[in-house]
Amino acid sequence: MRFRRGRTALAVLAIATTSVLIAGCSGGGGGGGSSPSGSPDSGELTFVYLGDANQQKAFNALFAEFNKQYPDIKLKAQGIPAGNWADFSNTVATRLAGGQVIDIIQVATEGQRLFASKGVLADLGPFIEQDKAVVDDYWADINPKLKQFNEEFASGPNGETLFIPGGFNTMGMYLNKSVFDAAGVTIPADGNWTWDEYLAAGHAIKDKTGAYIQAAGSSYFGDAMPWLTTNGASTFNADWTKPTYNSPAAIQSAEMARQLVAEGLSPEPGGQFDAEAAYKQGKLASLNGGRWPVLSIRNLDMVADTVVVNWPTKTTNGSPVGWDAWNIAKNSKNQEAAWTFIKFLMSKDAGEYFATIGGTIVPARESVAKSSAFTDNAPEGSIRLSEAMSYATPIPSIDRGAEAQKVIEEAWLTIISGQGDAKATLDAAQTKLESLVANK
Amino acid sequence: MRRPGAVRQRRRTEVAGWLFVSPATLLFLIFIAGPFVFAIGLALFKWDLLTDPVFIGLDNFVKLFTDPILPRVLANTFVFAFASIVTHIVLGLLLAIAVNRVVNRYLSYFLRVAVFFPFLISWAAVSLLWKYVLDPTFGFVSQYAAMIGIDTPNFFTDPSWALPAIIFIDLWHTLGFTFIIMLAGLQTVSPELIEAARTDGANSWQVFWKVTLPLMSPTMFFAMIITFIGAFQVFEPIQIITKGGPQNSTTTIVMYLYEKGFQSFQMGYAAAVAILVFLIVMGVTLLQFWGRKKWVFEA
Repeated sequence: MRFRRGRTALAVLAIATTSVLIAGCSGGGGGGGSSPSGSPDSGELTFVYLGDANQQKAFNALFAEFNKQYPDIKLKAQGIPAGNWADFSNTVATRLAGGQVIDIIQVATEGQRLFASKGVLADLGPFIEQDKAVVDDYWADINPKLKQFNEEFASGPNGETLFIPGGFNTMGMYLNKSVFDAAGVTIPADGNWTWDEYLAAGHAIKDKTGAYIQAAGSSYFGDAMPWLTTNGASTFNADWTKPTYNSPAAIQSAEMARQLVAEGLSPEPGGQFDAEAAYKQGKLASLNGGRWPVLSIRNLDMVADTVVVNWPTKTTNGSPVGWDAWNIAKNSKNQEAAWTFIKFLMSKDAGEYFATIGGTIVPARESVAKSSAFTDNAPEGSIRLSEAMSYATPIPSIDRGAEAQKVIEEAWLTIISGQGDAKATLDAAQTKLESLVANK
Repeated sequence: MRRPGAVRQRRRTEVAGWLFVSPATLLFLIFIAGPFVFAIGLALFKWDLLTDPVFIGLDNFVKLFTDPILPRVLANTFVFAFASIVTHIVLGLLLAIAVNRVVNRYLSYFLRVAVFFPFLISWAAVSLLWKYVLDPTFGFVSQYAAMIGIDTPNFFTDPSWALPAIIFIDLWHTLGFTFIIMLAGLQTVSPELIEAARTDGANSWQVFWKVTLPLMSPTMFFAMIITFIGAFQVFEPIQIITKGGPQNSTTTIVMYLYEKGFQSFQMGYAAAVAILVFLIVMGVTLLQFWGRKKWVFEA
């Protein structure tokens, strides 16, 4: 009996201890009084961003530039080489839960709702008010749609401003001019073509050169969304409250992507196809992407041999758009210094500098996107990535975005690899997405 | 009545003993017992990492019984673990016997290193390597198979082939470890006993079945235990190659635990799944120990 009582007491103690430990584990929602903390010119800042080794070089140069202006702000910038924004957001959330203080998180659309919904970010309203002239100058120079999307999809629960939008990415195609020339296929001069023209080009290229027109993939942003949006479809409705992944237009889009594989115009997915090497060797006619392929194109010494065009269309021009955004954590001890850094990132100088040194985003400021900082040492037609903002659809990213992304990508892969009928597969995915929306 | 000197001496010995075991005890408490107790407590909460945890009692454990995906995940894991045990034990033993018979010492060393070498490569490198090898368009396997008229499946996107492909990759990567254990076991089999059996007229097959195998059974038992525990926790190749797909055909229990914890942010439920993993591994291990009496030869 004593033994049993002892065990019970031990269990109670274990649970109580765990409860205390867990209670101390909330991820940084606390803190953040009514007035911003710290000094605007000094202090230590931790800034996390998504970046692999290539991108980190550009980021590091940008940070060095910041420190020239603000030598007393010690910037601890940490690149997280996640494969996508959903993984990045998960990593940051885990770090916050582990008690790390992160002052600024550069987070893209895919993760913004996650952080906005959890109450871990400070209201930027007071900062914007305090530097109205700086912020107004920024708003005046960015595409109004970017500001609108930021307000519509990334505001706090009470409409507070939690993010300042930074650069963005839309989707286009980087065409290998040599392959097109060898096949005798004309690249559309205005950058616009239809799905049928694209298929015809694919067949001509395959017949005459043996090259594939594009790599087959299932990434949400880079593969599924372009085919959906160029057919007037998307994964969710306009306000992301209802999935629309099994609409007739979405099914037709998925069938189009499958057709490329089935007809041998794209290699079978499911392995480790090295698209960049194939592009360089003339075995692949296009690389798909936003601004980010420009680094590889430069490394491959293919800038002069590449032209950027819009994604081919079925009904209308279409592209997903995702944008980086900066915020300040509620529990930051140096909110003023964090705001100083965000102001630096918003400045035209920083935008130009980042674009010049190899930033992998389209600059938010239109004046920078149209300047030589963005267009020099970049393939002809790169400005189309910026212009695509006028017709782009924000990539739907619900609160449970990482899970939704997995469902969307798995279904797309099943279809393009010929493992499932498009309608049945998208119907099943739709049911899963509805469940994710219903159980926030 | 004990002499004071003897008592003091005994106390000193006790203190020294405690000091000797204290580093290991401390590590055990911090890295095993502590997290285990923490996981039990965590399973009683709903917690998304970013907001405050909410106490929900046993709800996460109840959910284990109603989760529609969990049975598929457990089935995948048991299939993987069973296939892993059978292939590792059989092939590990056969390879060990073959290498043990090689007379040339240098060739024997070379073969040992060659078989063990894949085990030294990181899972990330192994996974990427096999993604190249089994690429449906450019991989060696599909290209060579096509030359002789065989149409290979798409190993990583076909739900019928993805799990067998992962089982094979795991076998290629970790067989060397089982092989080394088996080889060590073989070298403890007394040559006198084999010689005696031969003298009594036993042929090679009988020597293997009646002498070598029984004497190897304790080694095989040990290999079975550690292979099962390792296989039940398989994660890296699946995360890198298939991410649990296609259609959940390669989602194993630890992969599922990771998804629940770090993609769905259901830390409490993930902890409940972790406890389930612990209970299954412990249960199967106890079952193996119970079954040991029936087939393991105790000298």
